[in-house]
Amino acid sequence: MPAIETEALTKDYLVGFWRPRPYRALDGMTLSVESGEVFGFLGPNGAGKSTTLKLLMQLIFPTSGSARILGSPVGDVAVRRRIGFLAENPYYYDYLTAEELLTYFARLFGYTSAEAKTRVASVLDQVGLGAERRMRLRSFSKGMIQRVGLAQALLNEPEVVFLDEPMSGLDPLGRRDVRDLILGLRKRGCTVFFSSHILSDAEALCDRVAIVAQGKLAASGRLNALLAFELQGWELVISNVPEALAATLPARFGSVTSLSHGRVALKLAADAEPDRVISTLRAEGASVESLNPIRHSLEDFFMQHVRSAPQRATGL
Amino acid sequence: MNPSTQSTTAASTSLRARPRVRPAYAAIAVLLAAAIAIQVVRDRGWKAYEPENSVMWLRSGDAAKRAALSYDELAADVYWIRAVIYYGERRLAGTHRTYDQLYALLDLVTSLDPRFKAAYRFGALFLSEPPPGGPGRPDLAIALLERGVERDGDWEYYEDIGFVHYWWRHDYKSAAEWFKRAAERPGAPSWLLGLAATTLAVGGSRESSRQLWTELLNNVDAAYIRNQAEHRLQQLDAMDTIDTITAALQRFRDRTGRMPSSWQELAAAERWRGIPVDPAGVPFVVDAQTGKVDVAKSSPMWPLPAEPTQGPPR
Amino acid sequence: MRQIWLGANAVFRESVRDRVPYSIVVFAVLMIAASYLISQLTAGQDMKIIKDLGLAALSIFGLLIAVFIGVGLVTKEVEKRSVYGLLTKPLSRAEFLLGKYAGLVMTLAVNLAVMTAALYAVLFFSNLMAPEGLRQSWEAPAVDPRMLTAIVLIFAELMLVTALALFFSTFTSPLWATLLTLGLWVAGHFNSDLRNFGTVVDSAPVIWLARVIYYVIPNLAPFDVKGEVVHGIHVAARHVAYTLAYAAVYIGLLLTASVTIFGRRDFK
Repeated sequence: MPAIETEALTKDYLVGFWRPRPYRALDGMTLSVESGEVFGFLGPNGAGKSTTLKLLMQLIFPTSGSARILGSPVGDVAVRRRIGFLAENPYYYDYLTAEELLTYFARLFGYTSAEAKTRVASVLDQVGLGAERRMRLRSFSKGMIQRVGLAQALLNEPEVVFLDEPMSGLDPLGRRDVRDLILGLRKRGCTVFFSSHILSDAEALCDRVAIVAQGKLAASGRLNALLAFELQGWELVISNVPEALAATLPARFGSVTSLSHGRVALKLAADAEPDRVISTLRAEGASVESLNPIRHSLEDFFMQHVRSAPQRATGL
Repeated sequence: MNPSTQSTTAASTSLRARPRVRPAYAAIAVLLAAAIAIQVVRDRGWKAYEPENSVMWLRSGDAAKRAALSYDELAADVYWIRAVIYYGERRLAGTHRTYDQLYALLDLVTSLDPRFKAAYRFGALFLSEPPPGGPGRPDLAIALLERGVERDGDWEYYEDIGFVHYWWRHDYKSAAEWFKRAAERPGAPSWLLGLAATTLAVGGSRESSRQLWTELLNNVDAAYIRNQAEHRLQQLDAMDTIDTITAALQRFRDRTGRMPSSWQELAAAERWRGIPVDPAGVPFVVDAQTGKVDVAKSSPMWPLPAEPTQGPPR
Repeated sequence: MRQIWLGANAVFRESVRDRVPYSIVVFAVLMIAASYLISQLTAGQDMKIIKDLGLAALSIFGLLIAVFIGVGLVTKEVEKRSVYGLLTKPLSRAEFLLGKYAGLVMTLAVNLAVMTAALYAVLFFSNLMAPEGLRQSWEAPAVDPRMLTAIVLIFAELMLVTALALFFSTFTSPLWATLLTLGLWVAGHFNSDLRNFGTVVDSAPVIWLARVIYYVIPNLAPFDVKGEVVHGIHVAARHVAYTLAYAAVYIGLLLTASVTIFGRRDFK
């Protein structure tokens, strides 16, 4: 049984004041996330990532289509005991301390006050807020609030965690913590469904990804299957280039980029036979600094799909 | 955009769409019906608490009552305080004092809060006080009190109207009539009947005045009225003393053919212990020409009320 | 039930930490200052005035709390999106809403209790300091338990106003919700005029319309027995009972409507 499945999930919003017209925010989203997977839900801002997550959390109601979490239809209050959710740019109550907020949520999950106390202490340590537990959320930075958000999503030891842009607002250190946290969840067998527009995160973490653009699913699958790992070309960096050689480089290689300390980066085609090029250049007096293969990155893939996605349908 | 018409049948089995509204509509309709039913039943025994004769005399107060929402009691208090301050200010204002706003203010107060007993009773006292201490309008005082009578007919309003007739208009017949009507009100004290009888028999006499003030002193608790009553009773005592002195002077003159040269001489002749003083402790003064005895102008007893020129109806 | 109780506690804690205590302090200072000054100014009516002022302040402060916090309860959560955190917990939308309502009612109850205690304290001391003669001239004793009738009805009215604020805040902006709630509060106090419209107007449809409005909009005038209580006039137990029953039914109606609307709402 998949942990999360959606079938032709569609959401129209009415826009316009006098003559409201439907605006399709999400169009026939069909997804399936297996239990224990880390699933990346990728797309540019406004592509429909948050709409999908809100539909899964039943913060909004679908125009058509359906969704199930752990086999139960979304909106089933009982299933919420088994899931965690972190909203995008979350906000909690200014007047509560981190500890009080989490205790309140823990009690909502059905913990007794004694259980809640130990559980809250453990998640606060987990997200690195152990020292700030008695501070009012009012005084928290954006990154600290994000950590509180993570803490509340992990409070009930969920089977499925939904994270909407979990890296946003975090400094590099925080991002690494969140990555470690997600990897820790995977190790525990927890399904993680997270949305992001930052691809490096997804590349590092995900088993599978889905890419949305203009409200539609553009592509989905295993990361290494999606990305053709074929060679796109080579990047060759040379130095100590004699004047005479430098003048001929643009004509011979096309793409020439000057780097610091007199280094020059050259782009070679995939079939350029780098060994031969290197020996020629050496013979002409240059020294070789490095040679790297260029592969298709998630980013290229992403750009390609986002650009080619059909225009969003307006009106039904 | 009704989701139930959009979604396919296959989807609707697993989809928790928006909750249905029909049961909610039904519940709301039932509750609304119940709310209306309760109002209908309650309204049979309930009338909005409004002054009974609002149409007859709610004038300037009408608009104020609207504006005050449900806080008309509080607004009445505010205007009552204003009326008291206005009255006090004008008393201290010197020569150009007028009290032309006083009645309007009291009218507003009693319109806003028709049960504001003090506004009627003290208002009437303020209104009937003669210049310079007040506007000297016993007619307005009676008009104000008559609205109180119209409202709930407390015996106090009848008694106060009688009092205005007695003290300020010297209309002892009307006064006796109102005292009698006051005595007939539920809860009226028994002394009113006696007061009515005395007023009718010897209204305006010092004896009946003394009875009026004594009853007020003994039976009314408002400090303002009690002070007033005490003051008036002391003035009546002073008038008694003046009568005694006048008689003594007459005896002295009959015996010696001249006026005494000093209080000591008169006191020695009459075997008084000390010279006569008024209740405030100030010696009396005698006009050397006419032999007329009066309280000193420096005494708080001054001026004494005028004795009625006509005798009471006998 | 447990979820509602937890939600109510959170609201209570928020309002306690937020601004409600200030209103109580302001109230107490106002009461004491006012009663002291006024007793110097007025001719023997200070007791009536303290009571009027006290009951009026009680209901105004209560109204402010009910309307402004009541409107903010839901709109603030939705606007700041803290609702996302709560509604994804095992908490139905109905439980969320009822918890909010119960929490504010709790806040109101505590607030009214404190203000009532302050009022009675002022009355008690004024009574101690009043001379015996003055005391007998009062229409009602200073420390008069019958004032509680008025306060209970004020509480019921405020519960209704809170439900009204909550209802409007489930589908309009905070500004609109505030205006509509205050508007209906005013209309609710003038309502009894509509009942007797027939005596002023001749047109049957207009009279009929006035009747409909009278019965449908919340009728708040019966909750106001401040005048009666201050003047020591008896308020019929029957009247109080019907009015409380009316409040309960009307609150039920508003909460049902609120839950229905809120339960179907999209949180964009």
